[in-house]
Amino acid sequence: MLSALIWLPLLGALAIGLLPGKTEANRFRSIALVVASIVLVVNLLLIFQFDPNSAQMQFVENLPWIEWLGLNYHLGIDGLSFPLVFLNSLLTLIAIFATNKNIERSRLYYSMLLLLSAGAVGAFLAQDLLLFFLFYEVEIIPLYFLIAIWGGKRRAYAAMKFLLYTALSGILVLASFLGVVWLSGDSNFDYESLRGLGLPVATQLLLLAPLLVGLFIKIPIFPFHTWLPDAHVEASTPISVLLAGVLLKLGTYGLLRFGVGLFPEGWAAIAPWMATLAAISALYGASCAIAQKDMKKVVAYSSIAHMAYILIAAAALTPLSLIAAVLQMISHGLISALLFLVVGVVYKKTGTRDVDSLTGLLNPERGLPITGSIMILGVMASCGIPGMVGFIAEFLVFRSTFPIFPIQTLLCLVGTGLTAVYFLLVVNRVFFGRLTEKLERLPQVKWSERAPAFVLTALIIAFGIQPNWMVRWSEAQTTSLATIDGQILSQNSQKLEISELKNNFTQNISTPQIISTEMSQRY
Amino acid sequence: MVSTTLEPSKHKLAEYIHLLESGQALLKDSPEHVLEVVGILHSYGVVLDAYSNNLCYIADNQFLVFFPFFKYFNGEVSRERLFHHWWHERINFEYAEYCMKAMLWHGGGGLDAYVDSPEFREAVEKVIQAKFKNNWVILGLHNIFTEFLPEQMRQMAYYSGLGQFWRVMSDIFMSLSARYDKGEIKSIPDVVQHILDGLVADANKPITYKVTIEDKVYEIIPQSAGLTFLMDTGVPYVEAIFFRGTPFPGTISYNAQAYQIPHDQARFAYGALYADPLPVGSAGIPPTLLMQDMRHYLPEYLHEVYRKTLREEDDLRVQICQTFQRSMFCVTTAAIKGLAPHPLNTTDPEEQKANRAYLENWMDRFVTSQILKANS
Repeated sequence: MLSALIWLPLLGALAIGLLPGKTEANRFRSIALVVASIVLVVNLLLIFQFDPNSAQMQFVENLPWIEWLGLNYHLGIDGLSFPLVFLNSLLTLIAIFATNKNIERSRLYYSMLLLLSAGAVGAFLAQDLLLFFLFYEVEIIPLYFLIAIWGGKRRAYAAMKFLLYTALSGILVLASFLGVVWLSGDSNFDYESLRGLGLPVATQLLLLAPLLVGLFIKIPIFPFHTWLPDAHVEASTPISVLLAGVLLKLGTYGLLRFGVGLFPEGWAAIAPWMATLAAISALYGASCAIAQKDMKKVVAYSSIAHMAYILIAAAALTPLSLIAAVLQMISHGLISALLFLVVGVVYKKTGTRDVDSLTGLLNPERGLPITGSIMILGVMASCGIPGMVGFIAEFLVFRSTFPIFPIQTLLCLVGTGLTAVYFLLVVNRVFFGRLTEKLERLPQVKWSERAPAFVLTALIIAFGIQPNWMVRWSEAQTTSLATIDGQILSQNSQKLEISELKNNFTQNISTPQIISTEMSQRY
Repeated sequence: MVSTTLEPSKHKLAEYIHLLESGQALLKDSPEHVLEVVGILHSYGVVLDAYSNNLCYIADNQFLVFFPFFKYFNGEVSRERLFHHWWHERINFEYAEYCMKAMLWHGGGGLDAYVDSPEFREAVEKVIQAKFKNNWVILGLHNIFTEFLPEQMRQMAYYSGLGQFWRVMSDIFMSLSARYDKGEIKSIPDVVQHILDGLVADANKPITYKVTIEDKVYEIIPQSAGLTFLMDTGVPYVEAIFFRGTPFPGTISYNAQAYQIPHDQARFAYGALYADPLPVGSAGIPPTLLMQDMRHYLPEYLHEVYRKTLREEDDLRVQICQTFQRSMFCVTTAAIKGLAPHPLNTTDPEEQKANRAYLENWMDRFVTSQILKANS
């Protein structure tokens, strides 16, 4: 079943690429939409069969591939990867739907888009380090072309910058993986077998360093972030949606899966430094966002700030903080995708993203009132207003990290406060006031252009009101990841009152009973 | 066309002065403008008919009613009408009241003078005594607050005056539409002439107001008061509604404490000819209500024009407002022509000079209006 999630988009890409003769652009779009829809349906089927109470890998597929290299086609899904796989399939469908119907070189475009989706889902499902690396690298190629061919004016520069940074990221990740195998003396790259090796802390730190730098580039975390604003600004809207919604998550997923999973003691040792870096990144991203005039750059820098919350949550390394990290990944995926979609609509209709040129777009008659309303809702979600998914994720992040890293958490909270500053500046300038004469003749926004944003809005509100629907899939896995032999890995775990944690968990966010019972058994 | 012997005007809006002097209108003549103006005046005529009926109903039947909950129902209260009213897919009579209050507030003309006269006060006193003859509480309060009930009746007089004015205007606009359908109206000057003829024909129509209490008729504004349609309701209406208006919360928030609103009412420029057609957010802005009402009665040929625009029907109310402003410049042209000291096509240099001064005076008031946009 998991192979279908990888091979369906791959076959779709192949079919589009090999379709004979000159075919209409819409035909490629239809094929891509059908393939992406089938993948989403397979995901929905997974929901019914996935056991959220199990911390084990499910739907495992393990086939030997290049045995002398120790590479196996080993796939599996657990509570950590499940939400991201679902997010990937949803956002891929949305990205295809949001693509301009008359896009040039559509055959190549849709092939690349499906290849990108396959690469991302493959990385989330890979249970072999080398297989993860392969998929991690595979998604770089289509993304490079998607930016370089269908991007903005400075697309060549942005695509090359992206390629150089992420290629370096890949090399560092590979170096870490090779080091794990060589230093442990193991014969293959299987994740499960490498996980329980118990390497000395010094060795773990040595291997963790390149992995962290590689993944920090991907996330990206300050000061490895400079490729992202350029890539976002130059990429077309659907690509920005996928980039922010899914592809950045490969970095944070890698942190949890491999950073925490393979080097738990080493991770715990440098956790305070990572928390500090996260706080700096959050404040830096937010401060830069305030200074931006391009709406897309504001969202891009906001992305950097919000991705840092995942790092601080991962650094805290408690069951609660790890689930908070997963929730923040989902939350950021949905909210940033929504904001990029809305900015895309604004750009398409007005021809500019410059906040100084735009004003009064909320005008009910001649502006973009529904688009503006969705933007305001997305901004509210990003600011962590209760009732939306952003609140749940950020509340859990800060609630779980404060006892461990109080100062860094407080600094991140300042970053959250700044979210309101930079987004309200944008909203105030762009959507309020009177339309200028130049903007008085904006074309209509069609319902099909609004539909993807509506889907994301519905999920943002639904998960905000009923967080249980997200939390339940990952609880068991994140709890397992944060503990070894029943001990919480975090160095400062004693600061977190478990009884308080349970109470908060069960009363405040309505998490299922499972987390408290599991914890009772463990502690 | 009459050639003028005067030097060309150096006024900022000299172009429009010359247009008027040459027999044209403030709105440039084009087949598109004719279609739009006649179409919008058709729907305006239908709406004015409803407004007029309701204003007269309120003046005749709801006077001195302190809680006139059903004043918009014209005496036909039923559950269906109540739900229809709450659903808001209806004629917004609130706009008519807004116009009435603007007229009452800005005053001007014989009606304004008459409602402050002893005759009016005497007539009103009789009505108050008759209406509350068995209600000693109200009569007691009336003795303490002597201005309250007469002020209510002044307002009723304006209800009636505006109702009668709109009755005439509605008929003029409906007959204009009928003539256009017959092919008799072909240009903007034709439109202006039709309106001017209508105004002139009814210029001396008396404005009266009487109420009935227990089968006894009380004349509040008798015919002998000498109030007439054009000078006592028409001219004050143009002044109050087209020019001055009221600073409603729209695209601009006014701060009276910061002197953003002039002290002198005569310097107000918030009327229909100045209104920004682009509403921002706030529901219930009076001009928006009028556009909403006219939306229901657009003739098909005009609706088709709107459907073919960039936003199709998305910005229907803005398009209606823009067209409505164009039509109001035609009505204003008729008023300017009707009130001019001499015929605008005069060849007498002295008369031309007087007309030029008269027109420049008008144009001073149009400088900040939407006249340029209406013609763009």
